[in-house]
Amino acid sequence: MYDEARQRLGETIMIAAMIRMRFRHAVGLLGLWMSLPLQVHAQYPPAYPTGPAETGRKAAPFDITGYWVSVVTEDWRWRMFTPPKGDYTSVPLNAAGKAAADAWDPAKDEAAGEQCKSYAAPSLLRIPGRIHITWADDNTLKVETDAGQQTRLLHFGDWKSAGGAPTYLGESLAQWDETGALRAGRAILVAGKEVGGRSRGTMKVSTTRMRPGYLRKNGVPYSANATLTEYFDPTTEANGDQWLWITTIVDDRQYLNTPFITSVHFKKQADGTGWDPAPCSSR
Amino acid sequence: MTIRFATSWLPLALAAASLPVFGQIDISGQWSGRIHHDQNERGLGPDLGDFTALPINDSARLRAQSYKASILTLPEWQCRPHPADYMAGRAGFNIRLTAELDPQTQEIKAWHHRVAWMGQERVIWMDGRAHPGPEAPHTWQGFSTGKWEGNMLTVTTTHLKMGFLRRNGVPRSPEAKLTEHFMRHGNFMTVASIVEDPVYLTEPLPRSVSYVLDVNQMMAPYPCETVVEVPRPEGEVPHFLPGANPFLAEWTTSHNLPAEASRGGAEQLYPEYKKKFKTAPARTSR
Repeated sequence: MYDEARQRLGETIMIAAMIRMRFRHAVGLLGLWMSLPLQVHAQYPPAYPTGPAETGRKAAPFDITGYWVSVVTEDWRWRMFTPPKGDYTSVPLNAAGKAAADAWDPAKDEAAGEQCKSYAAPSLLRIPGRIHITWADDNTLKVETDAGQQTRLLHFGDWKSAGGAPTYLGESLAQWDETGALRAGRAILVAGKEVGGRSRGTMKVSTTRMRPGYLRKNGVPYSANATLTEYFDPTTEANGDQWLWITTIVDDRQYLNTPFITSVHFKKQADGTGWDPAPCSSR
Repeated sequence: MTIRFATSWLPLALAAASLPVFGQIDISGQWSGRIHHDQNERGLGPDLGDFTALPINDSARLRAQSYKASILTLPEWQCRPHPADYMAGRAGFNIRLTAELDPQTQEIKAWHHRVAWMGQERVIWMDGRAHPGPEAPHTWQGFSTGKWEGNMLTVTTTHLKMGFLRRNGVPRSPEAKLTEHFMRHGNFMTVASIVEDPVYLTEPLPRSVSYVLDVNQMMAPYPCETVVEVPRPEGEVPHFLPGANPFLAEWTTSHNLPAEASRGGAEQLYPEYKKKFKTAPARTSR
């Protein structure tokens, strides 16, 4: 795809320019074109694909698979312990949202078999625990959690919903978001020299069709109209630590005054040490 | 240059000039902070004695327990800015990022990271210069260098003045190193930060702040004047001697949390800590 874009751009400019110049200038232009650093070419919109689409797995700019453990340095009191009813500190709830939060009744949820309302997609990854990420197939990333024993499926490509009733985990479409210029995973070149390491990408996940649930364990609500957007960004630090930063944006006009923006971070583990599955709990 | 020559090169010149040179994403602009986690701590301020979620050692704990909040009334403390690591990982104040360009090459020589509160401006050098030696001055904003890792700006900061990890006296030493990752996602930006402090932390401290692009935001000046708020004998510095701070248990009591929670430490950061308490404390207040 990249090569096609480069070729198409080159041809367009070359033809336009050659019509107007002498041969020696055309040769000079050709030389300049060939010497341009890679990223200058790569920043043009890619050509429409002509072959089979690349699978999510093949297009992955980084390896997100493995075991990751949450390192709880933020919202500790609200994540490590179940907050009391009515504690919606930091969440931009509107009046309807506050009223719904104030009506939280964990016993009622238990009686209805709804203990997983706070393990829904918008809140799942804020629960202290470990996640295990694997490829279920070439276009489906599987995210399992030990807390609540949930499994999210993130679908790449042209996946289509089968319909049915909304679920707490909703339906998630994933894409490698190469915001900016470069095709993720390619070298960053300046005057032909690689600088600054390899380019990176972000995994963007959009989730809809979620059954109403909780943003926090104490009944802070999101509605059936809510949408969830997540960005998964990996980093590797100088000491070798690998982190996964997940930015979460919940948009819910029914219960929120403004999009609810948080982020959580996970540290890569070498293996599944500490994996401790536990069922959902309302309290 | 002839007209013919200029026009023949013009398409290519225009195409190249409109592109970012190094493949980076543009993070410049006015960014409005969002405080959708730890709002109490980051806004009004943390509870006294709340050292949770910090991988601190005994030295840090001892210093933090000697903290007396009235130290903030000293004229020398009233206009103290937050250090870069607190700005990066906690504060969430509105910021403005501007690029300083080389007029000839149009390469970014530096980013200017301005924070509304106390009008602090940090320079993030992008020209590959090295960090100075250990004897160089330490400042509130430290010495920062940046590099692009694809569309993510990674910034390393050293030479920070003695600061704090939390605004209730938890210290951060001048030996600390701050690493930041600026990750823009459309009109949102997450800045992830990691503080490493060989003096007061037992392991790196990762945190993050969130921003939304705000084209209407203006960065006002932030004048600050000191006054005598509390008359004191010259040289008196508010503090508690070890073991004499009566406020340390207040917040755990008021939130019905186990007393040991206030001590902090790396153990608290991991899911296993949650399992230490078979039954979550019945909490009655915020």
